[in-house]
Amino acid sequence: MSAYLISMGTYIGFFMILALALNLQWGITGMVNFGVAGFYALGAYASGLLTTKLGVPVGLAIPAACLVGMLVGGCVALLSMRLREDFLAIVTLGVGEVIRLIVLNEDRITEGPRGLRIEAQPFRDFVSAENYPLFYLFFVAVFVCLTFFVCERIRKSPMGRTLRAIREDDVVAGVLGKNVLRHRIQIFAVGTFFMGLAGALYAHYTQNISPEVFLPMVAMFIWMSVIVGGAGNNRGILIGAGAVMVFLEGTRFIGDFVDILDAEKMSALRIIMIGLLLIVTLRIRPRGLLPETKFQFKPN
Amino acid sequence: MSLQLLVNALVNAALIAPPAMAFSLLFGILRFPNFAIGAYITVGAFAAYSLNVSLGLPLVVASGGAMIITAVVVWLTHVVVFRPMQDQSPVTLLVVSIAAAFIIENVIRLFYSADVRGFNIPLERPWKFMDARITREQVEIIIFSGLIAVGLHFLLAHTRIGRAMRAVADNPMLAAIRGVNATWITAFTTALCGLLFGLTGVFAGLDLVIEPLVGWNLTIPIFAAAILGGIGSPYGAMVGAILVGLAEEATFLIIPSTYKVGVGFAIIAVLLLVRPQGLFGTLEIKK
Amino acid sequence: MPEVLLETRELTSGYGKAVICSDVSLKVAAGEITCIIGPNGAGKSTLLKTIAGVLPPIDGQIEVAGRNVTGQSAAEVARSGMAYVPQEANVFRQMTTHENLAMGGWIDEQRTNAARDEVYEMFPDLVPLKHVRAGDLSGGQRQMVAFGMALMLSPRILLLDEPSAGLSPLMVGQMFDTVVRVNGQGVAILMVEQNAIQGLKISHRGIVMAGGQIAMEGAASDLLESKSVSELYLGSRT
Repeated sequence: MSAYLISMGTYIGFFMILALALNLQWGITGMVNFGVAGFYALGAYASGLLTTKLGVPVGLAIPAACLVGMLVGGCVALLSMRLREDFLAIVTLGVGEVIRLIVLNEDRITEGPRGLRIEAQPFRDFVSAENYPLFYLFFVAVFVCLTFFVCERIRKSPMGRTLRAIREDDVVAGVLGKNVLRHRIQIFAVGTFFMGLAGALYAHYTQNISPEVFLPMVAMFIWMSVIVGGAGNNRGILIGAGAVMVFLEGTRFIGDFVDILDAEKMSALRIIMIGLLLIVTLRIRPRGLLPETKFQFKPN
Repeated sequence: MSLQLLVNALVNAALIAPPAMAFSLLFGILRFPNFAIGAYITVGAFAAYSLNVSLGLPLVVASGGAMIITAVVVWLTHVVVFRPMQDQSPVTLLVVSIAAAFIIENVIRLFYSADVRGFNIPLERPWKFMDARITREQVEIIIFSGLIAVGLHFLLAHTRIGRAMRAVADNPMLAAIRGVNATWITAFTTALCGLLFGLTGVFAGLDLVIEPLVGWNLTIPIFAAAILGGIGSPYGAMVGAILVGLAEEATFLIIPSTYKVGVGFAIIAVLLLVRPQGLFGTLEIKK
Repeated sequence: MPEVLLETRELTSGYGKAVICSDVSLKVAAGEITCIIGPNGAGKSTLLKTIAGVLPPIDGQIEVAGRNVTGQSAAEVARSGMAYVPQEANVFRQMTTHENLAMGGWIDEQRTNAARDEVYEMFPDLVPLKHVRAGDLSGGQRQMVAFGMALMLSPRILLLDEPSAGLSPLMVGQMFDTVVRVNGQGVAILMVEQNAIQGLKISHRGIVMAGGQIAMEGAASDLLESKSVSELYLGSRT
């Protein structure tokens, strides 16, 4: 049981990093990203391929994966920055799907649907096999804290304040002009940097990645975490990611009590409940469990 | 370009033109891209399947029934899910529409499982002319799609309700001032679009296969056609459908067909960058 | 005083909890032009929106030709013999002039063709523009389409929100001539104008609003000569 809890905790960690990154893009800056699953996959495959195919040490592969995420995210942002949010949503969803398709179809490199086996794990030689899962949980926790710290710093910085002001009022964005555009691209790239990080951490944890993990459904879970937690509020995001994961895992156990449903029906039922949870949350708490505190201008 | 390629492109276009026009109409009135359209199409396909295969009704009758069932589902989804949230931002509504799509698709999965199905119709040898093949069903899809385009044009340009639909899409406030009841027009539009999505479900069942993801896989080409034609412009959507159909078939010559979804996205991305208002549209999609 | 076509009693309205205009009581008699002037933010447009049913009132009453329309929607108010021309976006840009006029008569379809002919008679300039999309017309032409649309139901009173906004100085004069012409057909007019002097010159009565309330009212000619009005709201030019 404790092994199960440790594993669940590790997955919550991945979710938290992804949700914090999305909160940076959507919650704070108002940029829509439905390609979360794609950037997650990008990080996972970048790190995985670097270690397995090129023999790059894990310590270099993980930062490299973050940089790949950042670069691709920056390009996407650069190309589509001026689009209205709902159309940016379609473009980013497309980017996510195309990344997944490449992984699926270029199987000479990525092993495609067979899955990519990854041997390398960070600090594997220093920790015993039985303690490794617990070690990895702490390893991920450290990165969650780092991500949280960076996100909070950005939110409280002058740049973060400007971005939040723009999110509320597009006219201001027009007046402030190019500088803002650059900030928005930077924030989007920082967000995808962390999505790449989450992907790399996930790859070296499961040691076996395949395209089916990175369906648009994942993007939906992360969006739920942000919306349920409270867009704009980093603490809320942590709670939201935890709550969504517990809900996802919790619904698994329904199957143990209800025999009439087979695995296929069970999985359908879980997705229905997740969809309902999202709609109901938006209806009764449109600003999430921990709403963002009202934006105030405080000099210094 | 071979003749077969053109035939395939035409069938493809005929399949996505009606839902692209419906999506455009819906966007005009509700002002957010509704991702649930794929799920609506799936509802149409499975409703027709149940009426045709399970109840043994002839396909024509089953199609009519499926269209009505889909219209009811679309209207109910609007009333229960979207209308209470109509003051939320387009992005929130977009997220909600994805959630709604997941719910509808998985309710179908719950009852029908993910098996691949087909209608109960006799298999016929495809017709051949020159060196191209086309099935009887494909010809029917093309004819019906054309009739729908003409019918929609007549409705929008020459009828009282059609003018009111355009007025609400153009300027909802002024439409209300001139005495148009927006609630009624919205109900009519959602139901009409529901009929079109239902019919597309039947077409998809004829030309592709019936499975819970059949609509989801059509969503992106439909979006691409609607955006290409200029969102909010139903005529543009029709032209957009033909171009997307051609583009999808033509790219198969260059890249493997497994990237089909990617083609739709690529068209959308390039277009949004180069000509965001689409070929015929005027609605703003830039900031 | 002739028949009162429009009367508001202690009308209060605003957005959410923010009260923009309060306790406004006014009367518009049949056949007269009333001009509401006042500084920006005085609540003039909000008042007009409330009377037209676009904005629900917080308190007070609105009567059109003796019938209580308080709290009715814009679509319902449109049937009361009162027509409203908003300041911005007052035409359907994607539709032709002809179709715009048809939308003006949407409620009473039977009369649409006859009413449309009357409008073309009144605005002959619109005839060659029948099949041009309103979005492609000039500002002055658009304003004419907007007036024509509002006249399609043969209203007894017209509400105009800043009809001169966005027009070139030359067009402003023509627009006011049109207002007088429409009034000559027996249509009472209640208009909000930023262009106070020209607005008052063609009006019978004037109302000065400030801070969401009526500050002064009277015959338009008296207001034009009043010292305090000219200093406060008309600028130095008299």
